Amino acid sequence: MSRRYDSRTTIFSPEGRLYQVEYALEAISHAGTALGILATDGIVLAAERKVTSKLLEQDTSAEKLYILNDNMICAVAGMTADANILINYARTQAQRYLLTYNNDIPCEQLVRRLCDLKQGYTQHGGLRPFGVSFIYAGFDNQRQFQLYQSNPSGNYGGWKATSVGANNASAQSLLKQDYNEECSLKEACELAVKVLSKTMDSTKLSSEKIEFATVGRTKSGTVYHHLWAAEEIDALLKEHGLAKKDSEGVEESWKPGESV
Amino acid sequence: MASGYDRALSVFSPDGHVFQVEYALEAVKRGTCAVGVKGSDIVVLGCEKRSAMKLQDTRITPSKISLVDTHVCLAFAGLNADARILVDKARIEAQSHRLTVEDPVTVEYITKHIAGVQQRYTQSGGVRPFGISTLVVGFDPGTKVPRLYQTEPSGIYSAWKANAIGRSSKTVREFLERNHKDDLSRPDTIELAIKSLLEVVQTGAKNIEIAIMAPGKEVEMLAGEEIEKIVEKINSDKDAEANTRRAGRGGGGTAQGGEQVLASRPAGEGGAE
Amino acid sequence: MRGATILKANEDKTRQLNKHTLMAYVGEAGDTIQFAEYIQANIQLYSMRNSTDLTPSETSSFVRTELARSLRSRSPYTVNLLLGGFDPRTSKPELYWIDYLASCAPVPYAAHGYAQYYCLSILDKHHHPDISLEQGMKILRMCTDELKRRLPIDFKGVVVKVVDGEGIREVEYEDGGQVLAP
Repeated sequence: MSRRYDSRTTIFSPEGRLYQVEYALEAISHAGTALGILATDGIVLAAERKVTSKLLEQDTSAEKLYILNDNMICAVAGMTADANILINYARTQAQRYLLTYNNDIPCEQLVRRLCDLKQGYTQHGGLRPFGVSFIYAGFDNQRQFQLYQSNPSGNYGGWKATSVGANNASAQSLLKQDYNEECSLKEACELAVKVLSKTMDSTKLSSEKIEFATVGRTKSGTVYHHLWAAEEIDALLKEHGLAKKDSEGVEESWKPGESV
Repeated sequence: MASGYDRALSVFSPDGHVFQVEYALEAVKRGTCAVGVKGSDIVVLGCEKRSAMKLQDTRITPSKISLVDTHVCLAFAGLNADARILVDKARIEAQSHRLTVEDPVTVEYITKHIAGVQQRYTQSGGVRPFGISTLVVGFDPGTKVPRLYQTEPSGIYSAWKANAIGRSSKTVREFLERNHKDDLSRPDTIELAIKSLLEVVQTGAKNIEIAIMAPGKEVEMLAGEEIEKIVEKINSDKDAEANTRRAGRGGGGTAQGGEQVLASRPAGEGGAE
Repeated sequence: MRGATILKANEDKTRQLNKHTLMAYVGEAGDTIQFAEYIQANIQLYSMRNSTDLTPSETSSFVRTELARSLRSRSPYTVNLLLGGFDPRTSKPELYWIDYLASCAPVPYAAHGYAQYYCLSILDKHHHPDISLEQGMKILRMCTDELKRRLPIDFKGVVVKVVDGEGIREVEYEDGGQVLAP
């Protein structure tokens, strides 16, 4: 029925909606879940990777988590190719700010610059909006640790805990149930794997299927971010009894071009 | 019905409609409500605020009210991301104006600029119009006359004594038409803004945001508790009024009659065409 | 004093960039104001956009970047600057010395122009890192006295502004008295 307003570039439907943006959101709801949790002493990002194959190089192919600059990382859900463009843009913007002001870009400003670009693609720019949602985790001196989420429309907001991608409704309600504002980074990591274990299709998790990253501060106060290695993820899973018993084969096969 | 003429971006249909612009107005109507009210020496912006979800970080959630320059404030209804872009363009123009002519912008000038940008997006190739209406308020530099303007996706702008945009703006505007008087005092202006918002905001003070502008002063965002207090006062006034009306049925008739005459006036959509 | 023309002596060669940052400039007549106001507009735009002010160190870096860009253009600005600011986050005053070649350095005291040849030695001798505003004003008095005595052109006095946690204010500066050789 609504074909007339949804095939070409982003234009208003008679009800004042932007179908292209809504469809992009739809695409993201099939992508692998990503979530972020804000703790008192840091932030954890975790994501389900759908591209699993025995032949895939483990340590060099991050799919879901990326470093933006010295004090910010992000998780993506949606079309990875689109995400790469945006991440590249964000990295450039962050360095440009650093070059101009000799100080790291405040988190909200980086998020906003990225969202302004996304907005542009819903109003002019190209044929379709970017099909990616992001969760950002970062630190700056004004607001300490911060967690943001943005979507293809170019809207963004700050969150204490949030999720995007497939099953994000159930992930969100699990987070709502179990999130504690006073939690430590360690407890946040625990919550993250618990939520993922419940929202992911497979019963047992393994480092092949999830990616994990944290932002925190060292004892001396410097900000660090850390994309976890496979062994660290396995260790965490084992600690919470969620690890796979033996190394079974990977059951799902990955189709090229699929959203992750 | 209008086959074809609403698909390509912003072209005329045979009967003279630019459908994309009309649809953009629908996007505005889906946005949360914002009101602007002029008093004798202040001007107030009020916004309906979506209540924050439990997991939202309340430090960050962007506001619907933003400062364009120290003396000009803007509220919008419609697509959030579009508004961010438009507000940024206005802020650049405000500073650029200071740089080139060494004077801050007048409220009308910046309104005209915002409307001009919105108009351009209804006529240039490959773009869709902005899905927002704005209320621009403030004081011209060195004057004490409050200003209130509205802009629309079409690029029309107009000056108002009081007006509303966004969800149920018609109801709110009708309420304002019935209740706005010239020379409102400061508390009365604030109260009227809140009262009119309560026409559409059922959940009370926690979903209302109020900004006050006075000549030569920085914008003042009213604290939550103060809005709460005023809402309570409005509610108790309402109860008291209901009681007196119940007490003397016949006597209240004239006042009510007077109201109804005003209410049946056309709402004045602000020239949506 | 004997010429047919007298130059304006009460020009305020400073621009307030935001609540806590003040920039003083010397250099090519047209360039100075043009550049200072351009910087001022951009710093204020930043404040409006982000509802927070740039710190003095961030501001100095921005000014330096703009000068560096201008230096490599077809018509560079010939402006030397002093940037004074108070960082509300660290509660510390900061001073930056910037020249038209886009050098920028945080310094405890600084001077530009011909007057620096008379003032810097006084500042070298009398400045200490922990002096109060009052002591600072005394050193400034020594500088202006020296200028009155030795500057080859007629010295018409100074405009004095103080930047602190409260913001920026101009202070009265009496320089009527006659200065004798020590």
